[in-house]
Amino acid sequence: MSAVKSIFRNPPLLTFVLVALVWLIAGLTLRGFGAYGHLRYLLELAAVIGIAAAGQTLVILMGGIDLSVGAIITVTAILLPLISPAWDPTGLVGIALALAIATGIGFLNGAGAAYLRVPPIIMTLAMATFLQGLLVVVAGGSAVTVSNPAVILLGQGRPLGVPSGVLLWIVVSAVVLALIHRMPIGARFLAIGANPLAARLSGVSLTRNTLILYALSGFFAGLAGILVLGMNRQGYVGIGDPYLLTSIAAVVLGGTSILGGRGTYAGTIPGAILLVTTTALITVVNASPGWRSIMFGTLILALLLVSGREARR
Amino acid sequence: MSAVSSSSWLYGAIQRRRNRGLGGLYLIVAAFLILYAVLFPGILSVGGFSKFTQNWFPLALVTMAQALLMLNGGITLAIGPLVSLGAVIAATTMDGVFGVPGGIVAVALTGLAIGAVIGAIVAHLRLPAIIVTLAGSFIITGVALILLPRPGGFIPGWLSNTLAGHTPVAFLLLVVVLVAWKAFLATPLGLGIYAAGDNPVGAFRSGVPVERAKVVAFALSGLLAALAGLFVAAQTGSGDPVIGTPFTLNSIAAAVLGGVGFLGGKGTMRGAICGSLLLSVMINVMFFLGFPPVAQYIAQGLIIVGAVAVPELLKAWRAKR
Repeated sequence: MSAVKSIFRNPPLLTFVLVALVWLIAGLTLRGFGAYGHLRYLLELAAVIGIAAAGQTLVILMGGIDLSVGAIITVTAILLPLISPAWDPTGLVGIALALAIATGIGFLNGAGAAYLRVPPIIMTLAMATFLQGLLVVVAGGSAVTVSNPAVILLGQGRPLGVPSGVLLWIVVSAVVLALIHRMPIGARFLAIGANPLAARLSGVSLTRNTLILYALSGFFAGLAGILVLGMNRQGYVGIGDPYLLTSIAAVVLGGTSILGGRGTYAGTIPGAILLVTTTALITVVNASPGWRSIMFGTLILALLLVSGREARR
Repeated sequence: MSAVSSSSWLYGAIQRRRNRGLGGLYLIVAAFLILYAVLFPGILSVGGFSKFTQNWFPLALVTMAQALLMLNGGITLAIGPLVSLGAVIAATTMDGVFGVPGGIVAVALTGLAIGAVIGAIVAHLRLPAIIVTLAGSFIITGVALILLPRPGGFIPGWLSNTLAGHTPVAFLLLVVVLVAWKAFLATPLGLGIYAAGDNPVGAFRSGVPVERAKVVAFALSGLLAALAGLFVAAQTGSGDPVIGTPFTLNSIAAAVLGGVGFLGGKGTMRGAICGSLLLSVMINVMFFLGFPPVAQYIAQGLIIVGAVAVPELLKAWRAKR
């Protein structure tokens, strides 16, 4: 009994148990769900959400929110093929440039929030609107095909049978978890999220950490954009749109408080897998788009009731 | 006696704090309206004024729906889907046995009911509003898609002509809505919505039913958004399951332009209405000046950031001196 209670007190563990249950039941009842290829495919899809949600987790932990994640993913996916120089056979220069642009956009978000004192939700929403307009100017609304070898390797390669996207996700997870739980800067982020005034009075610079955090969120969104581009081999306007809501949902399903100060990336990882699994199951049921949308919304609400509740005041 | 005068002093101070920045907003709105009238003198005729207010009316309604919740300390991302659902229900019920009145009642009841359910989940199950309305927006979009998979349906011609013809009916309706809002604010529950947003604990100790105020705020917000959908359906003459999508962002942008804050209690409804008018005029001006839709996005992003940043910077600059 106390074991059950401790699971309910530990949101990341609870989400992991939920994922395991869903996979077990679906694997026993649906033909083909439990196949290695299918599960690997699910993890590959979850990797994109998980990487985009890494930045989102950090920002939400600090009490902010980043609504420009989807737009940054689209910007990276469209710009990368255009800016990859032809003289570079590895394609790494293009990746570095694209990541620098994504980080720069995130930095601008942070600058708006820190220096102009625009609330993050407005700043990132306005940035998303701005980028949406800029993209149509730059790309002209047509899809671009990627020929960058490093990006294709990232999206399609399978060293030792494991998709390289999943490997990238494992590396990102290790870095983010270490950042939050093993480094002083992670403690500062959590302190700001829990009580910004107390954090500032204790000598934590709000401006500096806000800039770092939104730049990091932009960087991870850019990384997710490169991965999506490699998996699709094409970038188009709107490619990143689905990842905005899923990145926030993954964070909240993992038990991180949307108000900041409480939570961990360890919850976001199973949260991302849970979201992808739910979407896959809904697709299997073979319903009309309307019913699919209803089921997705209802499931998110139901999962929230289990793992996302704010503490009683 | 002294207690009365001190409470009126407190009231005046609070009102001054709430109205700070509104004067500048009025000036900007007036400047844009004059610019608009100089560029397009057509607005000064009855027909031009009617068309202008008809473009503004649904935005004003959804801005009220959003501002109502932001003043209460919440937010909703389900405005767009609710507008779509209102339009779809209007277009599918008005050829039924109950005709137009039946359709209007159906739209209003749906908006109220959906809003109340979302409000009850937020208030009583203590889930964050931003996530609940996000999940809710998927469900509402799904319902709209099932009712009307592709644009169509039926709106009687006379209804379209009355609401979106050459008479300023939309403007009169807006006045009626605003008067009704003022009357509602005079009731304890109406004031409670503001109070609960400004200071939930203080409001609770003063006897405000904080949770009920929240449910009522969400229900009214749902009603306003669904009615905006009804108007959009009358304007376009049919229902469309995704027509409301841009309204989510625009409702937040207009409320923020009008000085409504995210943490509840900060801002006023008249500010929000002015914000929606400003946004509507700006969109119209850019459209008539021949800006491509792309430039509108870019300008809108810059304007929203500027509208929030400039007053903050001014405040910081004043504090330094």
